[in-house]
Amino acid sequence: MESVITFEKVNKHFGGIHALRDVSFSIARGEICALMGENGAGKSTLAKVLFGVIQPDSGTMLFEGNHHAPKSPLDSQRDGISIIFQELDLFPNQTVAQNLVVENLKLMPAQGGFVSDRKLARITRPWLEKVGLSVEPNTPLNQLAIAQIQLVAIARALSMESKLIVMDEPTSALSSSAAEHLFELVLKLKRDGVTIIYISHKMDEIFRIADSIAVMRDGAYIGTKRRTETNLDEIVAMMVGRTVEFRNRQASWRKERVVLAFESVRTRLLKDISFELHEGEVLGVAGLVGCGSAELGKALFGLDALTLGSITINNRRVTRNSPQLSIRRRVGLIPGDRKLEGLFMQQSVSDNVSITVADKNQTLGFIRKKGVEGLVNKTFEATKIKAAHPGVCINTLSGGNQQKALVGRWLLADSSILFLDDPTRGVDIVAKQDIYKIINELVKEGRSVIFVSSELTELLGCTDRILVLYRGAAAGILNTSETSQEEIIRYAMGLNLSETEHRGAR
Amino acid sequence: MFTESLEKGRKVLSNSLTTVAGLRQLAGLALIFIAAIILSPRDRDTMEVIFLSQANLTDIVRQVSENGIIAIGMTFVILTGGIDLSVGSMLALASTFAAKLLMQWPTDGDWTTHIVIIIALTLLMTMSLGAMMGFAISKLKVQPFIITLAGMIGLRGFARFLTDNANIDIGFGKDITASFCGMFSEKAVVMLTFIILALIFYIILSRTVFGLQVRSIGDNPTAARYAGLPVHRTLVLTYALSGLLVGIAGVIHAAQNHQGNPNDGVSYELDAIAAVVIGGTNMAGGKGTIFGTIVGVFILGVITNMFRLKGIDINVEMMCKAVIIVFAVWLQMPRVRK
Repeated sequence: MESVITFEKVNKHFGGIHALRDVSFSIARGEICALMGENGAGKSTLAKVLFGVIQPDSGTMLFEGNHHAPKSPLDSQRDGISIIFQELDLFPNQTVAQNLVVENLKLMPAQGGFVSDRKLARITRPWLEKVGLSVEPNTPLNQLAIAQIQLVAIARALSMESKLIVMDEPTSALSSSAAEHLFELVLKLKRDGVTIIYISHKMDEIFRIADSIAVMRDGAYIGTKRRTETNLDEIVAMMVGRTVEFRNRQASWRKERVVLAFESVRTRLLKDISFELHEGEVLGVAGLVGCGSAELGKALFGLDALTLGSITINNRRVTRNSPQLSIRRRVGLIPGDRKLEGLFMQQSVSDNVSITVADKNQTLGFIRKKGVEGLVNKTFEATKIKAAHPGVCINTLSGGNQQKALVGRWLLADSSILFLDDPTRGVDIVAKQDIYKIINELVKEGRSVIFVSSELTELLGCTDRILVLYRGAAAGILNTSETSQEEIIRYAMGLNLSETEHRGAR
Repeated sequence: MFTESLEKGRKVLSNSLTTVAGLRQLAGLALIFIAAIILSPRDRDTMEVIFLSQANLTDIVRQVSENGIIAIGMTFVILTGGIDLSVGSMLALASTFAAKLLMQWPTDGDWTTHIVIIIALTLLMTMSLGAMMGFAISKLKVQPFIITLAGMIGLRGFARFLTDNANIDIGFGKDITASFCGMFSEKAVVMLTFIILALIFYIILSRTVFGLQVRSIGDNPTAARYAGLPVHRTLVLTYALSGLLVGIAGVIHAAQNHQGNPNDGVSYELDAIAAVVIGGTNMAGGKGTIFGTIVGVFILGVITNMFRLKGIDINVEMMCKAVIIVFAVWLQMPRVRK
């Protein structure tokens, strides 16, 4: 088969880190090639080199037989390469149409020198239709759900009429049905002769849509397998260099005592939610995008006010609520968007981990350095954060380690009820296993965990019960041991509700 | 055993490297210092470099003290992601307020108590005004630029209103005002106030919970809320702190200039912001140090001194300053890319 892109001995250093080591391989035209590897394996760096965001220290690339040495993303776009980054790098305050057109060599001429919303809408609407996004082109991007923003990014790549599209974790923020939609799109692109490099951590997706699977580890290229000739275990072994067990929970630590109860809770976005959380229980929360799982955490943590209903924690009804009061009640929240809502990206790992307990480790306002150091070191051990030392800036860490730092913050806060909003999003498989282990340890100690996830397999693997949300309302609570992915999805799509209830939930 | 000692060695090395990296901030100051030495006129008899004379060097410290004290507060404000445009007007208000009290409050001998009370009242006023602005920024959620711009206009009006647009001259005679001016225009007092305040707030920013919260809130306000930080209290305190420091600068200003002038302090906010920025503080908040700000203050101060010694036109000085500010900021930017 004719190869569309070839890497030859590509090297890249960042300071002391060898991010790409002699990477050499090629990808055949019209293929969907999954690029896999743990966080920090060099996948995103390779994508950035290909796209011209950064330049390699040495090595060459051949694109369609020609020497490819992009000095900037525009060079790549001109050649027919586009990329959809994990952190969708769009402009939140601009409209959908403006986001499609900006720096887009194919659409800019059609737009002409003057910007008119009507004209922009006209030239961008076909591309939005192509990805199945039914929003007005003149809607500001920040009014869209993250799944819709993802589609905007894809529409943008399509409109450039690219021959090679790199997708970096495209489904990390998508619900199951939105992901389905994306797969159809990807397969359609393939039929149109577009080559796709698909970076993902989700095995089930990759085994569904990829033609070949290329694996990287520690900056080096390990090998490529045809999907039909390999299996999950082999790929995982290539990724980690050792075998990983996919182990489900063997025990439950759920006790009878109820620690948290929601009674007919309503907020601006939640509609009548009731459930009970037991001591030592992991309660999973499933649902499609916009189902209200994040809002559930906000209601619990005092970030959103209740309009009706009540929350009871340890048999005491919550009358006043705020994040500070929640922390005092030993309730913790790990937000879904770690960069936007969780971490302080310019501060050290140590400061990020210890921020909520700094108040308790002070003498007359002065931070007790020794005490905090000890706590931080303990957290590093418990969460297996990989960092040169606790004093380095958190933005030098990989995504998985940043996530662990965020988890560590709430371990340190000694929360007895912990709300985890999609903690494994965009995290590699080893870090995921570490997070599952932490959750297990927590409930073993008698704490209770609410675990929101977009991956049903991990919910089935880690939880005691699963609360399924549908459009801000509880569609049902399922016992994990008696349910299946299919049943959860049926609930998440509101299919279990009768026609009248269905309307009520709207 | 071996891995332990290896780890220890690595820590020492990385710590000392961080220290060296900290010294990079001094590169700009060192360059300007060298330029000042080369350009400095020499004493006709002794051939001594006038720039390096003890009198001149201490003059520089005295001259930068007011801006330095204001810039310390400005650093905290900018670290929270805000800005304080009101400092110039606040300084005028503080010095006229103090001068007015000194002139109009009848005294009968016990000057020291009087002076202490007057200074305390002045600082209490500027601190409360700062706290009010912090409250408005945090509760009304109006941008700091707007609130402190309003403060800049309103406080200037208040200062002029207090004196009916007139200057209040102080310290010309043998009364309490002379004693006040004598005390706070003393070179050593001015220098020490600046140096001690810089030390105190260096420690507060780097070692206290408050300092950590200031940085965190500026770094990511949403995450600060999610982490349960006292965002409101911290913002009020930060602007109150800026008000307090400007008040101190205002008291020194009145004593050094022998007057409370409601039209003083114009564009002081820009000098303070310039010093903070040259010192490497991120204008978007979250990252910066008092040490950097002090370096920035001295870079500006040495430039001024260099041109004054040469007797160069002040307009030329401003044009050169503009170039040097950009160059200094560029020089001190972190070299690591992405």
